Amino acid sequence: MAATTGPNTVSAGRYVGQAVKRLEDPRLLSGHGRYVDDVQLPGMLHVAFVRSSVARGTIVSIDTAAALALPGVHAVYTGADLNPRVGMFWHTMMGPPPELGGQTPYAPLTPLAGDDVRFVGDPIAVVIADNRYIAEDAADLVEVEIDAQQAIVGWETALDTDQRVHPGMASNVGQEMPATEVPEVEALFAGAPHVFTRRFAQCRATNVPMEPRGIIVHFDQYAGDMQIWAATQSASEWKATASRLTGVAEHRVKVVANDVGGGFGQKMMMTRDEAAVVMAAHLFGEAPIKWTEDRRESLMTANQGREEICDVTFAVTDDGVLLGAKVVFWEDIGAYPSAASSIAGMAGAVFPGPYKFPVVLPSGSTLYTNTVGKAAYRGPWMIETVAREQMMDHIAYELGIDPIEIRRRNVIHADDLPYTTCTTMVYESVTPSETMEQALEMLDVAAFRAMQAEAREQGRLLGMGVSIYIEPSAVAFGILSSDQAIMRMDNSGKVIVAMSTGNHGQSLETTIPQIVAEHLGCNIEDVLLVQGNTESSPTGPGTGGSRSAVVAGGAAMTAALKLKDKIVQIAAHMLEASPDDMEVNESVVSVKGTPAKALPFAMIAPIAYQMPEMLPQGMEMGLEVTARFQPAGQYTWSNATHVCTVEIDPETGMTKILRYIVSEDCGRMVNPMVVEGQIAGGVVQGIGGVLFENMIYDDDGNPLCTTFLDYLIPTAPEVPDIEVGHIETLAPGLTGFKGMGEGGAIAAPPCVANAIHDALRHLGIHPTTFPLGPSQVLQLLNDAKG
Amino acid sequence: MKPSPFTYHAPESIAEATALLAELGDDAKALAGGQSLVPMLSLRLAAFEHLVDLNRVAGLNAIERVNGHLRLGATVRQATAEHSAEVKSSVPLLARALPHIGHFQIRNRGTVGGSIAHADPASELPAVALALDAVIEAAGPGGTRRIAASDFFVSTWETALNDGEILSAVEFPVWSGRCGFAVEELTRRHGDFAIVGTAVGVQVDGDAVTKATIALFGVGATPLRASEAEAALMAGADVAEVARAATAGLTPSDDVHASGAYRTQVAAVMVRRALTKAIQEARA
Ligand SMILES: Cc1cc2nc3c(=O)[nH]c(=O)nc-3n(C[C@H](O)[C@H](O)[C@H](O)COP(=O)(O)OP(=O)(O)OC[C@H]3O[C@@H](n4cnc5c(N)ncnc54)[C@H](O)[C@@H]3O)c2cc1C
Repeated sequence: MAATTGPNTVSAGRYVGQAVKRLEDPRLLSGHGRYVDDVQLPGMLHVAFVRSSVARGTIVSIDTAAALALPGVHAVYTGADLNPRVGMFWHTMMGPPPELGGQTPYAPLTPLAGDDVRFVGDPIAVVIADNRYIAEDAADLVEVEIDAQQAIVGWETALDTDQRVHPGMASNVGQEMPATEVPEVEALFAGAPHVFTRRFAQCRATNVPMEPRGIIVHFDQYAGDMQIWAATQSASEWKATASRLTGVAEHRVKVVANDVGGGFGQKMMMTRDEAAVVMAAHLFGEAPIKWTEDRRESLMTANQGREEICDVTFAVTDDGVLLGAKVVFWEDIGAYPSAASSIAGMAGAVFPGPYKFPVVLPSGSTLYTNTVGKAAYRGPWMIETVAREQMMDHIAYELGIDPIEIRRRNVIHADDLPYTTCTTMVYESVTPSETMEQALEMLDVAAFRAMQAEAREQGRLLGMGVSIYIEPSAVAFGILSSDQAIMRMDNSGKVIVAMSTGNHGQSLETTIPQIVAEHLGCNIEDVLLVQGNTESSPTGPGTGGSRSAVVAGGAAMTAALKLKDKIVQIAAHMLEASPDDMEVNESVVSVKGTPAKALPFAMIAPIAYQMPEMLPQGMEMGLEVTARFQPAGQYTWSNATHVCTVEIDPETGMTKILRYIVSEDCGRMVNPMVVEGQIAGGVVQGIGGVLFENMIYDDDGNPLCTTFLDYLIPTAPEVPDIEVGHIETLAPGLTGFKGMGEGGAIAAPPCVANAIHDALRHLGIHPTTFPLGPSQVLQLLNDAKG
Repeated sequence: MKPSPFTYHAPESIAEATALLAELGDDAKALAGGQSLVPMLSLRLAAFEHLVDLNRVAGLNAIERVNGHLRLGATVRQATAEHSAEVKSSVPLLARALPHIGHFQIRNRGTVGGSIAHADPASELPAVALALDAVIEAAGPGGTRRIAASDFFVSTWETALNDGEILSAVEFPVWSGRCGFAVEELTRRHGDFAIVGTAVGVQVDGDAVTKATIALFGVGATPLRASEAEAALMAGADVAEVARAATAGLTPSDDVHASGAYRTQVAAVMVRRALTKAIQEARA
């Protein structure tokens, strides 16, 4: 990974801005992480699910007798056992459903199937047994008779049919954002020099966390306490959901998330399977029960993303200047989406992205189908960038303008800032134009165009793609609005900071200590992040939505400054100096200019805890602070431009990525290595979404990609080196940090698609639909030949 | 993903292994490297009450030259064959096919015999065996018999082996003269099973192709020999024409990765590229 550094680099501190090696890596890379499946408890039993083999149908009968008779089986629970015991099933992040005073239109959620099944893999029964082998044997012995009905597969079918995914619902539409008719806009489109319409589609993908879902639940019916170990992005969310489900008071539920092997949104909210384990443990009441989702279950039943269609209509001038856009989003949300709400609102709001659109009118619908539910997946709203950035190229070619030039004519420049988009988003410090120019310089466009022309002479197909986006990081609403740091320095001068974060690959065990050490003035090895334990960590939303650097980082920094302030006051009192004359370096407080007059933290801390007489008058004993941080705006905007080049084999349709370049601005970087790692991970997922990953269902709703033989994720040999350029413009507010966890996955798909488009357009090929794997590309080439 | 219960047997001789398999019949399955069988058991796509492990059976893991053939015992690991100087010099086509099998971790366990006995139509080694007219030795309770590769592959995962028989060795003919060999396949990712592929060999005398073999995999229920195309090549047809002939009339099926039509079209490309390479090598 080659990194260049842009012109606006802010100076790095001792820790913040440094590529500090990850503190979690010795444990994780040597195979000593502690994931849910690594947790072994005395007397623990194991869960396997009985799942539906048909996508839609009525359950005629369930016979559990043979399973119960198998030695080693402790219980078999069906929907009839568990569903009626559910108190409430909703998520803190989404708020309650309408019938409980909220606004979120949840799918009718029950942990297990009730009278009918609604997708292949729908959980029908929970088996509890001595071990997983016996549990699976018993699951095979449960006889389920289902009266199968024709599955509703595909959003268009869902729209047209009079059949319902959820019986009793008036339609299959989950949520609708109606189109607004604005006469001025209609007039604008009617009078525009050019109006172009395209339909862009991306295919269903699944998050593929390296650690699938997993949960251990122990309800101690004698104590009335529930303890949960979970693979979750948010221990707080699991605690609250488990309490609502079971009626066990929330303070009697403890949730521990040790190491979590990825989630990408899939582990933001507790899903039905996990809820079923919670309910089963609550009913069972005797011993801890563990469910480790296996890979096939993960591919078949864990919620998925990206099956979205976007109809865009752009009005433009002869010169390619944007006059306005109408955008319609269609989302296939499966049967039981984990985030009930549509992405259309968010996608519509951020659709203008890096360009000066005078007007954008978004609308959209979500459709239930008899498939796995929709999950949040890294940049859940990203269809807007996928559609917009491809559309820019389509328009450019229609008008005979270079795709780079059309972007230059519309992109927001430094002198446009602060800029309010037509959708009322306010950008104060973004650099879409600067990142684009940096990325293009890194490529050397002229050299590539020459190489492309030469290759074309030989019948070879090369192309380059550009995509720009502005990332709405650290979305702040509801529970997502703030985060807290509970910080304490112990007697020996070391620091523990407890946070609600749910580190699952974001390197927070390193970056939070970097921030604390920087602002407290101590050594990084003296700081420990404690998280994922609801007994020691504060209530909060966990990690997701590119929020942790911004919100948790802000809380950590604020707490560190507060703690430092107290330490300095104590030291100044003892050294008989003014706090204003003190400085802190490497855990030592000294009088500026008089290094001999100094006290190390290790001496100050015991005083704070043990010698009240030595503290300034009236000062509270101890070294404990809390700080809750709320970012300044509802979004903290970061941005990037991706550029890539590809070569397509005209005889096989195979695309090879030659170079992949990202120029990004995430404000002050806490750790450039971590930033580049986040970019690389996202880009790989984005490449996967165009070239490899496609979760296919047949017409009967059978999932066809149930192992890694069929669901292809890019592996190291398929991924090019990712070259990263940085531009650092500070975010408004205390820290200057901007979130950037999702951007790689947002901008990569249209970048790759645009490069393929560029390679093929001289043949009259203008792709709009993912995937663009070898068979699809060869089909396009065949069609073009006629 | 846990297999259903089975009894594990670890015989140490061919006689013991074949006796067990004969006695247990359909309820038993031979286990070699486990790289195909174990995933199928774990996914519960297959279930057997007995597994008869061949890994400890004596005399099954030798590589030796026997009458113009290179004989590989059934449990020779794919990795061992891949790195064998003897294989590289005597049966270059096999040596070139082996690195295409999955990843090195899989080849460390997977066996040459297991791959051929498993008879996956997308596998390289069955196609190599067919291309080279290898002879498969089957050992049963009543002794051994020899089966021509062209008679061995019956359908997907189905071979001419009878109940109670194991594949004990494969004998690959050693070509002489000015030869060239190539394996070309299309995989979407490094290490994937081929969507389609070909294994070819040629022998040349001056400009003439005096011997040719073309086997295709991933295009039907078994690997296929393109005999007419081979004849056309020896009769002097150009490689593009031969490639078209080799793939005419194929009816591969569709799957999530590609349509049958795609496979047919790309198979011709693979054959052309492979023959071009092989002929170049032979003439060099
Ligand atoms: C991720 C992955 C990728 C792979 N990619 C490829 C690839 O690209 N190309 C490819 O060809 N293969 C591939 N394989 C399969 C691999 O080559 C297997 O090793 C091989 O197909 C089977 O050999 P084995 O020794 O592992 O046999 P096992 O898995 O032990 O057995 C397979 C079958 O053959 C039978 N069998 C095995 N040995 C004998 C014998 N001596 N006599 C009678 N029956 C026997 C067994 O009973 C069983 O039915 C891949 C496997 C994995 C896991």
